[in-house]
Formats: sequence, C-alpha cells, structure tokens
Amino acid sequence: MDSESHRKMADTMRKNSASNLVLIIAGMFLFFPLYAAAEFSLRNGADKTHGFAAYRWIFDQSGFAENIGITFRVTLLAVVLNLLIMVPTVTWLHLSGQRYKRLVEILTILPLIIPVVALATGAQLAMPEFMQNSVYELSFFYVVVAMPYTYRALDIGLAAHPLATLTNAARSLGASWLKTFTTVVAPTIRPSILAALFLMVALSLGEFTLAQLLHWSTFPVWVTNVSQQNIVGATALAIGSLFFAWVLLFSFTFIGKKNSTIVTEEG
Amino acid sequence: MRAKRLVVAATSAAILASGLVLATGPAQAATNFCTVQNLQQAGGMDALVKAAKAEKELNIITVPRDWANYGEAIDLFSKAFGIKINDDNPEGSSAYEIQTIKTAPASKQPDVVDIGVSVLPDALGIGRKALFAPYKVATWNDIPSEWKDSNGLWYGDYYGLMAISYDASLPKAPTSIKALLTDPAFKGAFALSGDPTGSQQALMGLFAIAAANGGSATNIMPGIEALKAAKAAGNFVSVIGNSANYAAGAYKATITWDFNGPGAIASSAAAGKPLKFVIPSDVALQGTPYLQAINTKAPHCAAARLWEEFLYSQNIGKGSREIDAADAKLPGSKIFKMIMGGQNIWVAGAAHPITEAAMIKKKTIVNAPEGFAVPKTAKRVAPSPDQQADQKAIVVTEWPKL
Amino acid sequence: MKHSTTNNVDVKGALANKGAFHGFFSPSPLPLLPLSLFFLIFFLWPIGALTGNAFKSNEGAFTFSNITMLFQDPYRLAFKNSITLGLISGFVGALPGLAIAMAIEKQGSQTLKKFIASISGVLANTGGVPLAFMFLAAFGPAGLVISALKSVGIDLYGLGFTLFSFTGLVIVYAYFQIPIMVIVVTPALSSLRKEWKDSAANLGASKFQYWKKVGLPILMPSFFACYLLLFASAFSAFATARALTVGNIALVPLQIGSLVDGNVTINQANLGYALAFGMIVISLIAMIPYIWIQNRTAKWQTR
Repeated sequence: MDSESHRKMADTMRKNSASNLVLIIAGMFLFFPLYAAAEFSLRNGADKTHGFAAYRWIFDQSGFAENIGITFRVTLLAVVLNLLIMVPTVTWLHLSGQRYKRLVEILTILPLIIPVVALATGAQLAMPEFMQNSVYELSFFYVVVAMPYTYRALDIGLAAHPLATLTNAARSLGASWLKTFTTVVAPTIRPSILAALFLMVALSLGEFTLAQLLHWSTFPVWVTNVSQQNIVGATALAIGSLFFAWVLLFSFTFIGKKNSTIVTEEG
Repeated sequence: MRAKRLVVAATSAAILASGLVLATGPAQAATNFCTVQNLQQAGGMDALVKAAKAEKELNIITVPRDWANYGEAIDLFSKAFGIKINDDNPEGSSAYEIQTIKTAPASKQPDVVDIGVSVLPDALGIGRKALFAPYKVATWNDIPSEWKDSNGLWYGDYYGLMAISYDASLPKAPTSIKALLTDPAFKGAFALSGDPTGSQQALMGLFAIAAANGGSATNIMPGIEALKAAKAAGNFVSVIGNSANYAAGAYKATITWDFNGPGAIASSAAAGKPLKFVIPSDVALQGTPYLQAINTKAPHCAAARLWEEFLYSQNIGKGSREIDAADAKLPGSKIFKMIMGGQNIWVAGAAHPITEAAMIKKKTIVNAPEGFAVPKTAKRVAPSPDQQADQKAIVVTEWPKL
Repeated sequence: MKHSTTNNVDVKGALANKGAFHGFFSPSPLPLLPLSLFFLIFFLWPIGALTGNAFKSNEGAFTFSNITMLFQDPYRLAFKNSITLGLISGFVGALPGLAIAMAIEKQGSQTLKKFIASISGVLANTGGVPLAFMFLAAFGPAGLVISALKSVGIDLYGLGFTLFSFTGLVIVYAYFQIPIMVIVVTPALSSLRKEWKDSAANLGASKFQYWKKVGLPILMPSFFACYLLLFASAFSAFATARALTVGNIALVPLQIGSLVDGNVTINQANLGYALAFGMIVISLIAMIPYIWIQNRTAKWQTR
C-alpha cells in the first residue's frame, strides 16, 4: 500500500474510534437508567431473588380489561380520524396543493408549542357538555396533539416519491382515478401512512396528562393509579412497554423500501 | 240537609286524607334523593339502599387506597351493595377536588369529597352558592359541634397526628423532628411528603417542623428556615416523599399522617423495604379533621348519601373479606347492620374517627393498631383553619425560593 | 426531486380546479376544509377560550391584571427558571445529539442506523414518573451506579452531586432531549452530500476548510432550528419536573398544573390561564425563527 492509502486508512480508523467513543459514552448514559429500573422490576420483594412476577402483576388487576378496552376504542377512533383527515389532505397538498403547504406546515407545528395542560384547561372551558361527557373527545384531541408528528411523517414519506409525476403519468396512460389511486398512489404512500398511524397509536397508549385532566380513566391513567400501591409492578410495566415499543419500531424499520420514511421521522 | 253536609264533610276528609298520604308516603311519590337531607327523608335504610343500587355507581375523588384504610372501605361498600366505585386521581390534592367540582362536566362530577380544611373557604364561597348539598347522617349527634356545619353542608370525618416514617436501614431511629433535620446521621434522608402550597398533609408537616424549631401555629417561617438549613446541611432532599420515590431510595424518612402508617408499611414490605412509624418526641401535631361533603351536582345522589351513612356508621361487623354473595342479597338495612362501619374501618387504619368520644362511651369502637403511642414529651400543636389559611399565604410566596 | 418542477406539471383532471376559484385561490383550497375545521374546533377554540380567560378578572370584566401579575414573583421567577432551563437543556441535548448523529453517519452500517432510529424514537417519548424513577434507580442516592461507585471509594453525593436540583433536572431532561436531537438533525446531516465533501477534497480543501466553508454554514441553520425545538420541549416539560421536585424550583408548567389543580390563594381565579397564555407567547417567539429557518433550508434537504 502506498502512503496515500495508509493515510486514508489511518484517517478512517481515527474517525471510527472517535465516533465509536461518542457512541459508547452515549450508550452508557442511556443504558444505566434503563438497566437500573429493569433490575428493580425483576425483584421479588423482600427476598433478594429475581423473577418476572412483577411483569405478570398488571394483567391480574381487576380493571385491566375494562381500561384497555377504553384506550383501544379511543385509539381506534383516533386512527380512523387520522386516515380520514390527515392522509387525504397531505396527499392533496403534494399532488396539487403545494401553494398551501407552507401554511399547513406552520399550523401543524402549533400543537407542539402549546402545553398539554393548557389544551386540557381550554377544552374544559370551550367544549360543549355533550362532548365532554363522552370519552371519545380524547380521540379528537389526540389527533391534534399528534399532528406535528403525523403530518411530518406523511410529508417526508410523500416527498420521497415524485407522486405528482407518477399520478400524471398514470392518468395520461389512460388509467381512471380509481385505478390510479389503488395501483399508484396507495402503494406509494402506504409506508408513510403506517408510520403516521404508528405514531398515533404510540401517543394514545402513553398519553396521560390530557386524559387525567379531563377526568377520564384510560389505560395509562388507570395504570398510574393502580401502580401507587405496587411500585415494582409499575416499573415492570414501564420497562415492559418501552421494550415492546422498541421491538415494534425496530421491526418497522425493516419493512418498507430503502431510504424509508421511518429512519428520518421525528419523535 | 244534614246528610248532604255529612257527605261533604266525609268527602273532604277523604280528599284531605288521601292528600296527606300522597304528600308523606314515600312509597307513592318518587323521592328526589338529590334533595334528601337525612335518612328519614330518604324513607329509611331499605329505600336508600334500593335507590343507591339502582344508580349502580359512585364517584369519589382523590382517595388513595392506603390512606386511613380507605381501600377496605371501598372494597366493603362495593361488595356489600354491588355499587362500582370510580376514584378520580387518587393521588390528587384537596384543591383538585374543589377545582373538579367547579370545572368538570356533569358525568365527571364527584359525588362526595373528603377535603382538608384549607380549601373549605373556596368551596363555600362568598356571594356564590355553596358547592355542597346538606345532609345529616344517622350518627350526626355524635359529631362534635365545632366540626360540623349547622346546616349539614360539611362534617369532619377523621383526624390524625403527624408521625415520622423512616426506613429501618437508617443508622439510628429518628425520634424527633429536630434531630431528623440536623443530625449528620440523617444526611440525605428527609423529604417532605408533598408540595405544601397544595397538599394539606405537607402543609401540616411544615407546621410540625416549625413547631419543633421555635415556631407555632401562628408562625410557620421557622419551619421554612429550618428546611433551608437542612437543605444546606444535606439532610433535606427536595423530592416528593411518596412511596415510589421511597422505593427508589431517593429518601429515607418523611413526616406523614399516622393513619397512613399501616398501608405504607404493607406496600413497602411488598417492595422489599422495611418501613417504620413513630410519633416524634418533640412535636405531636394534631391535624384538623378532614371534612366530608356531598356535591350538589352529584350524579349519583342516593349512592352518595348511602356512602356517607356507611362512613359514619359505628357498627362492628364483617369486613370485605368476610362478606359473601349471599349476604349481598339481604335487604338493605340488614346488610348495613352486619358490615363494619366506616368509623371503625378508619380506626383500623390508625386514624382517629370524628365520633371517637361517643364510640368509646358506647363501647362500639374496635382496637387501634399498635405502635402509634404519643410520647409524653411531645408538644401538642393543633393549627386551626384560620391559622392554616394565614400561614399558607406565606408558604405560597416563600416555598419556591427554597 | 425538486418541488419547483411539479408546479409546472399539468395535473388537469386531478383534484385541482374543483369549484373554480381562479387566480389567488387557484387551486381551490376546498380540500383543506376537513383539516381546517378540525383544527379550528379542537385546537383554536380551546386555546382561544383560554386566552380570553387570561384577560378576564374574577368578575368577568376585561383586565390586564392577570398578565401584570406574571411579572411579579413567584411567577416572574418561574418564567426566568423555565426559560433558563429551556436554553441550557437545549444545548445539553443538541451538542451530544449532533455528535451522536454525526458518529452514526460516519459508521454507515444500515442496521446500526435502524437500531439508533428505533431506540431514539422510543427514548424521545420517555418522561414523567417512569423516567424519574429510572434515574432514581440508577443515579439516585441509593442508585445502582452510585452504590457501585461508592463501593470503589467514589462518593458522588458526598462530593455534591445530586439529582434534586436544577442541574439534576437538566441531566434527566437530556435523556429524552438527546434522542429528539438525533431524530431531527439526521435529515439535515444526510443532506450534506458526500459529493460535496469529495469535490472539496478534489479541489484541495483540507477537512477543516471543508467544514468551515461548506459543512458548518449549511448545517448551522438546521442545528439552530433543532435547538429551538429542544428549547420548546424543555420549556414546556411538565410531568418529569413534577416527579423530581417538590415545588421548590419555580417552573411555569408546574405552576399552571398547580393552579389548574385549584391551589388558588390570591383569589385570582384566572391566573392559571394567564400563565398558560404567557407560555404560549414565549413558545411562539421561539418557533418563529424555527419556521423561517426550515423554509429556507428545505431545498437542501430534499433529494
């Protein structure tokens, strides 16, 4: 090898060791709290043994089925609302509404800067009684709170493909609107839709503040209340859900094409 | 002529009689349980239980299960009467209860509240209708007059003393508040049970610290000063002294109501931590009783009133683990007689029920749990509601500067 | 793919020109109606109601008195603390986050990138009681790491380290701030095309010169935008702060929460709304540069 390649190799190694060091230190900082909580959750009480008893605990609590059911229904409605409202709108923005894209971008970032406490207080002031008496009001608010993320997931995903060109090509080749939609548009945007819906589900499963301030007992609220009496079980639940969410998300990154939207989505 | 008069008289008498029957017979007219003010107006225990069962649910608010043995009360009531109890935000504060009444939609209104004295002025309001509906329980006369509203809007339920709860792994047992805050052996040990600007319990804890450091019920500043010094010395950790943080080892001792003892000791043992309780030797802070009240906007009026009768019942009887399905089928008044009354459930939780004096006289009180004796050296301090309100204003401005 | 060309592509027969609003409103914004209505009812209306109440006195008359109260202690102190927390936590999250994102770019392995992406997505959403507990279990006075260090003679808490302080809060916040940064800065980094680095090297530029003239100028705006996002995130974080403090650090979200809970002693019922309004104003001020920068740099980030 000549000196040029030597230098390049040394360079690469130095680069790699610096990056490696950064990743190692970051990894330790992010790892230890997880490990400590996981160790605590595996404890078996007064005897110093370890086991998975705490992980089974939450399933044995009366109220588990009822509250999971409530959260499931609320999430389902939120997902449907997202499909009905966000997907067509963002698709249209990319196809022929580019003019309004900036405006919508600005609008959809607003929920990010409003503290959820404020939204809950405002909701109790503004919403009519019949809405406040139904747990499904949460679905509507969840769609709003998730909007910064779902919009961006859809936006980035759609931007990765020349959708307008493809659509136009299909149309000029004689395809009807329906056929264009089912064979061109839908498959193209499916990964982005899945990403956006996943974000919606993740938010709904973990959202606590809004649900509690509006006095609803959803799964996250119920878990928090029940956990007051069993901190080991509560920790097991927290660690368990983190792990479960990560497994889902990680396997998600293997679906979809290269340069898929998931890698670059925002929180 | 006389016959006609007789007929008229007889008819009027009949009309009058039937009118009386209609007016006073609960079996005929539907009782509006939301305006019922005592058991008699409700038509007796059987009628009350029947109406409560028909409502199927009861909304309570900010009631932790391990607080004064409330968990047992909830379980027993649910099992005996088949009424589902919904508990909104168990770890919330008294202020949260009143705020919920003011802002929540109809279906989310609590039926009953259990509040600290400090939020009562806000609840009663000046120039505004009070938030509570008047009701006098069957044992009304056993409640001391200074702890009940003459119209029945609110009534004291139980009170407690401030105790030190501590982890047995400390190098020595903290027997006084002063030592806890100053002794180097307790470095990193002490946390306050909550935010004193909102939590009644934390506010009383602050009063206890004040009294142990030269302050009194009318001067809480020495308490804040003492905590500042303890923070500098390292004895005070500024984290909420709840069970989660205790299990995580964030703190080792706090000041809390003695009636939280049994529940806390049990749940700590389940997490593998040895928790102990002791009344401090320098200050025995007697809290003002917490207060019960029925919400005027209660969605389940009969259940609310049945719950109050239950809480103030002095009966000794079956607990939640002893009652069975057959018992639940009995008529309402029979069930009520055979289950443990709320006053005694609270005694088992190391709380002092409000009708304590009468119960001791009538010998209808069960034995209190062991280990909560008051040392003779302890100075008794009992801040009145007005004193609490005054000092709280100071705490609100000074606490964020700690 | 460039946005500009699609504007010229004729998509007649498509959704455009429905309803025939020519000129300014062409194509017709009608398809925006569902989203706009939704946004109006479930976001603008509650926030509007909140803002309205911020300016109401206890009797219902219009007043600035709630707003002027914000400029007095303890609320002034709360705003000062919250803004400081946002500014500091923004950097504590942004710099390591950028370093990690750059390190990952360099490593290049697809699996690692996917792993980091998924981990970041999960950790960015941690907070509140679970996060506080995780840190207490690891770095609390009886935490695993602390005890382990104690057993080899290093007593961190004895040396003054503590989680229960402003600094402690910044450390805990970093746990979700850093993943957020990794997620939002990665698109900007991947837009720094390798071709530019190669071209610069071909033209004789050293690494330092490349970064000074090409890399940093392109990266700076995006970095700043991401920093603003982190600021907003730390400024409005509520659950974590509540789990780790006992009211002794004045922070605006905590005070809103406390007032929402009903802890009103000064008989200013609408003070909580005024506090929330103040928070919204500050967050908006932080977001305006963010939006402006994103608009300017968007063209660099599309492929």
